[in-house]
Amino acid sequence: MEYAPTYTEDELVQGLKARDQKVFSYLYDQYSPALYGVIVKVLNDNSSAGDVLQEVFLKIWRHLDKYDPEKGRLFTWMLNIARNTAIDILRSKSHKLEQKIQNIIDDVHAVNGPLAVHPSTDYIGFSRILEKLTKEQRTLIDLAYYKGCTQEEISRVLEIPLGTVKTRMRNAISQLRNIINK
Amino acid sequence: MDVQRYISSGILESYVFGMLPESEQSDVETAVLQYPDVKAAVDSLQLDKERFVQLYAVPPPSGIRERLVEIIRQENTEEGNDLLPEELRLPVARKTPVKKVTEVQTLVKHLPANRKSSDRIWKIATAAIVLLLLGSVFMNFFFFQKSTDYKSRYKSLIATKQKLEADKEQQALTSLKQASPIAADPDPLSNPDFKWTRIQGGGTYAGKSVSVGWNARTQAVYLQAQLMPQPPAGKQFQLWAIVNKKLVDAGVFNTGAEVSEQLQQMKAVAVAQGFAVTLERKGGSQEPSMDQVCMSAKVQ
Repeated sequence: MEYAPTYTEDELVQGLKARDQKVFSYLYDQYSPALYGVIVKVLNDNSSAGDVLQEVFLKIWRHLDKYDPEKGRLFTWMLNIARNTAIDILRSKSHKLEQKIQNIIDDVHAVNGPLAVHPSTDYIGFSRILEKLTKEQRTLIDLAYYKGCTQEEISRVLEIPLGTVKTRMRNAISQLRNIINK
Repeated sequence: MDVQRYISSGILESYVFGMLPESEQSDVETAVLQYPDVKAAVDSLQLDKERFVQLYAVPPPSGIRERLVEIIRQENTEEGNDLLPEELRLPVARKTPVKKVTEVQTLVKHLPANRKSSDRIWKIATAAIVLLLLGSVFMNFFFFQKSTDYKSRYKSLIATKQKLEADKEQQALTSLKQASPIAADPDPLSNPDFKWTRIQGGGTYAGKSVSVGWNARTQAVYLQAQLMPQPPAGKQFQLWAIVNKKLVDAGVFNTGAEVSEQLQQMKAVAVAQGFAVTLERKGGSQEPSMDQVCMSAKVQ
């Protein structure tokens, strides 16, 4: 995404700590599409994703004092909040693991996600990038990041040994890195 | 620990993409603190993840931004607080079951029927909020009335106090001036031009004393009645300058504990070999009552 940043990350943090509403609006404009994307992908459900996004931004606003710049970037921290909130909700829906998996496999096959519904020039490279990952690699990343599966669960579902899960994850990510950074 | 081998094991990827059990997570976090190479690898993986996540970015539905800004604008009011999800509310807030119900609603896949009942709940919530707001406006008005009442009473008290203070000051000023044409000296006690004479009493006035400071250059005279009793009713003490064995009026002065610290400015005196104090009728006399001399002293 291209934008003219008017705040550095440090300024953003200071502004939010000072309860500056302008900074908050800026934060929302900059980061809401990415966070909303995560939530939609986790829940696989557009109707509740908006409410979750609202909750996530309120958590960011309220819990900013818990953010520690030593531990990582602000965006990383915000992503964690969005992912964990969405995954908690997914779990509270008491989805069985099998259902989770079914969703993933549907997801991977079908190109009828929210992206296809709202195509945008910003995201046009998306499907081409994912095509360069194997189906197994995509499933692995999705299960881990978007469904919150532990490596044990992944090992069971994909029927691969536990030790292999980490190696494959590493391969998947380095493949991803190559594609993204090209 | 073989850092390179650790990095290439894939555990960092698994960590960044959130698939490690908690025990292993904290192992990685310890390694990050300990080994700069591990930290660098994790940071770069975080960046990869951020880029990856951006691929899935979708503009959220419009309206959420406005709702958020509104909530944040009102977050310090009770109404605003109630708009927050339960866990984020300030502890003082009352609990309303409304939000919880909507949460359950949003969790369930939205069928048209659910949508309707969710709308209804929002309507009820809105009505409740409006009621709260009206209540708050009423209370504001009520307390404002009260506070203005207290304010006016407070103001009148202040005014009375100021008037009393002004009166007191006026009194002190007149007692200082005593029709003296000489300008008041700002600090006669530390001015070396003043010659201070302590006048001790005898007889009935044994142990009593006043101090008189006289500036021969400006002719100013100050008196401090340190140890002098209140005069009998209708009487007042008067200071006299002794000039060639005659007493020349230098003005009356106040006595008593209240003025014992005060410097009282007396009438100007051009020449004086000494000072004397007599008890006269209130307001002072033209001629001294020689049988009423309480004390006298020579200027040293």
